[in-house]
Amino acid sequence: MTLIIGKELFTIEIIELFPNVTLRCFRDTRFKQGCLSFQLVGQMTAQDAAWRALLPSVLLRGTGRCPDLRTITQRLDTLYGASVSPLVRRVGDCQTTGLYCSFMDDRFALPGDRVLDPMTEFLGELLLDSPVEQEGFLPAFVESEKSNLISTIECERNDKRLYAQNRLLERMCAPDSFGLPRLGRPEQIRAIEPIALRRSYLDALQTNPIHIFYVGSAPAEEVARLLAPIVRGLSKKSVPVPPQSGLETGVPGELTEEMDVTQGKLCMGFTTPITNRTEEFAAMQVLNVLFGGGMTSKLFQNVREKLSLCYSIGSVYYSVKGVVTVSAGIDFDRKDCVREEILHQLDACCRGHISQTELTAAREALCSSLRATHDSPGSIEGYYATAALSGLGMTPEQYMHAVEAVKKEQVVSCARQMELHTTYFLRGESR
Amino acid sequence: MNKTHYRDLDETVYRITLENGLDVVVIRREGFTKKLAYFITDFGSIHTDFTLEGREYHVPAGVAHYLEHKLFDMPDGRDVSAEFASMGAMTNAFTGYDMTAYYFSCTEHFEKCLRLLLEFVSTPYFTEESVRKEQGIIDQEIGMNADSPDSVIFDNLAGAMYTSHPIRVPILGTSESIREITPEILYTCHRAFYTPENMLLCIIGDVEPTACADIARQVLGTERREAGRKLRPWQEETAVPTALTEESMEVAMPMFNLAFKCRDGGIGEAAIRREMVADLAAEALFGESSSLYLRLYEEGLIDSSFGGGFETVDGCAMLLCSGDSRDAGAVRDAVLAQGEILAREGIGQEEFARMKRSALGRRIRSLDSFDATCYRLCAYHVAKFDYFDFPALYRQIRREEIQAFLGEVIRQDNCCLSVIYPVKEA
Repeated sequence: MTLIIGKELFTIEIIELFPNVTLRCFRDTRFKQGCLSFQLVGQMTAQDAAWRALLPSVLLRGTGRCPDLRTITQRLDTLYGASVSPLVRRVGDCQTTGLYCSFMDDRFALPGDRVLDPMTEFLGELLLDSPVEQEGFLPAFVESEKSNLISTIECERNDKRLYAQNRLLERMCAPDSFGLPRLGRPEQIRAIEPIALRRSYLDALQTNPIHIFYVGSAPAEEVARLLAPIVRGLSKKSVPVPPQSGLETGVPGELTEEMDVTQGKLCMGFTTPITNRTEEFAAMQVLNVLFGGGMTSKLFQNVREKLSLCYSIGSVYYSVKGVVTVSAGIDFDRKDCVREEILHQLDACCRGHISQTELTAAREALCSSLRATHDSPGSIEGYYATAALSGLGMTPEQYMHAVEAVKKEQVVSCARQMELHTTYFLRGESR
Repeated sequence: MNKTHYRDLDETVYRITLENGLDVVVIRREGFTKKLAYFITDFGSIHTDFTLEGREYHVPAGVAHYLEHKLFDMPDGRDVSAEFASMGAMTNAFTGYDMTAYYFSCTEHFEKCLRLLLEFVSTPYFTEESVRKEQGIIDQEIGMNADSPDSVIFDNLAGAMYTSHPIRVPILGTSESIREITPEILYTCHRAFYTPENMLLCIIGDVEPTACADIARQVLGTERREAGRKLRPWQEETAVPTALTEESMEVAMPMFNLAFKCRDGGIGEAAIRREMVADLAAEALFGESSSLYLRLYEEGLIDSSFGGGFETVDGCAMLLCSGDSRDAGAVRDAVLAQGEILAREGIGQEEFARMKRSALGRRIRSLDSFDATCYRLCAYHVAKFDYFDFPALYRQIRREEIQAFLGEVIRQDNCCLSVIYPVKEA
């Protein structure tokens, strides 16, 4: 089946290679590189998060023809410095695991040389020809990637802003899959055995839908022809991905933690019934940008610029689940006044204290980034591959038109539906 | 304007030097929606000593960054960010050791945005009150860096490696040094280094090149003014005064920066060639396709956070690698030992050809990023080299150059290690 989305300049061809094995192609000759992503789509669960996070790094450790990291890199060097990286995404209730390839466009290769063909072949090898020992992946590969992944997770605390944000979401969304750590927990990773990991993977290859995305200069039929031998026989027992569900929240409250830091991190979590599947979605996005989305937002202009209460401040809207977080880097003793001021700014939105300038700036910022979606292979892949899972049923053009039509009353209505749920504060150690 | 087509890269570039001395470079990308403009000066945090109009100045550390913040202020309470935002454009700036850049990206209203960029960067407006108020904000930024292990580990490294070069001092300065900054100092620095002759305007996107040059003429005028002359009093030996610096912080795993101090390569084609040789040497020594990388990775001494390359700043250069490791000292010893072997035995012809092909392909791919391309073009322009000539330069590099570079640089006496341990282990 081939389906063409969008009547404008850009089209996506959707080809069902086999049942539940979907190839999406975005043909574009403007770029110097192409990208190809391969994702197995599953549900985000406490049992599966860890192995899915670990799998791609193990696949990247060796194949039948390239038995170690060095030979893999040498192969990629020969493909004009192509790269293959682990791809683990969380989109609302979904979690994907797979690989992401970036490679130079064929037109820059030496005469007679090709990049896409051998790249696809190599992707197939990485996915389906891992060295095996007693039905499992090689224990040495699994063990070292386990410790790498654990240290990646532990290193999240090096970035205090991210750390605070994760702690907030974990608490606020405790009963929901959204409260689970994206890459699993260290103790779950430690428990993974090479045989069980391979069994989970082989099982997922049969039971999970497969999403493949290509951006580049080759025609869709050619990409389909190259991929067909790799995916033939896969995903035979899979069922389509279920639709996204609403957020289940934990017990509201406040949480303070201490660490040896110079600057405090205040993080506030709000809920909203508005998601990317509801009518008011575009208005909610405008509200988020206007409230805390950039240098012209109310939070930045007032809390930072006017009152000099912090260096950094901003908000994030997780539209699949209907969560807004605000985080600020502040002095320890300013927590209460920054918190008050954040709520005060939200209250201003609720009371309709929104100028035409603020509204225009927010709408324009969103439209501008949507317009530029088609300017890089990475952002094209990111937009469409995520939209296919999140339930967002709009192309960037349609999304833009929705944003342009947003009225102030709609933004005010969105603000009134936001409710503070949890406050998290990271402060220095009391001595 | 001067038009050059680069067949190897499928790029067309327009260039002109205006009457006022400003260089304008336009990379035309037809069919793209995004437009990006960089307006840069080669004045950065290390340029605290200079002469202007016959007088010598020594300004406090952190002044270039402070100036970058304050340039966004305009007379009559105009808000530059809001004006850009009303056009759907995003504006920002950054200060490096030897360059300050102001930029915007937009999809519509390009010419109005360009006018605004040129206008605000060329309009200094500082008051006692606004300069004082900025101290709080920059103090918070300094505090944020103090909690960022990546900043601390590099500042510690630079402090240990150099005796007089101002790379020793953080780009932001210190809480004490920024207190000495006054409106008068900011005006002086602006007069010295924000003259058109000292700046570059680099634009990428589907834009009309001559219109860009015309706008720059209209906003900046045609008068040519003398720029400040940088003093570079620093004297550096290639040996490092301190070989090891350690600190404890709230980090999960011990992390390290390992660097080899190199002589300053200067500017021009020879310097850029040396930079490319150095990057290939780094690849041969500890890149992902090297035997050393594989060994250290399999022994668990490094993980995927490991990486490195050649870093240059006006007046200094270093071969640097960094990552997380439970035994950074062992990584250092292994790099030193492998460096000696490669310097003695060289690298194979086939391996060298593959590395070059890979490096060239990665550079070509990176041209898809507007930001990376604009930034590189600016940085290389300051170094007096046309960045888009890189394919030809790669073709000329011989493998003996890699060997010679490693022999010169990978030595115990110019090697410095900066480590940060988790608090608990200290």
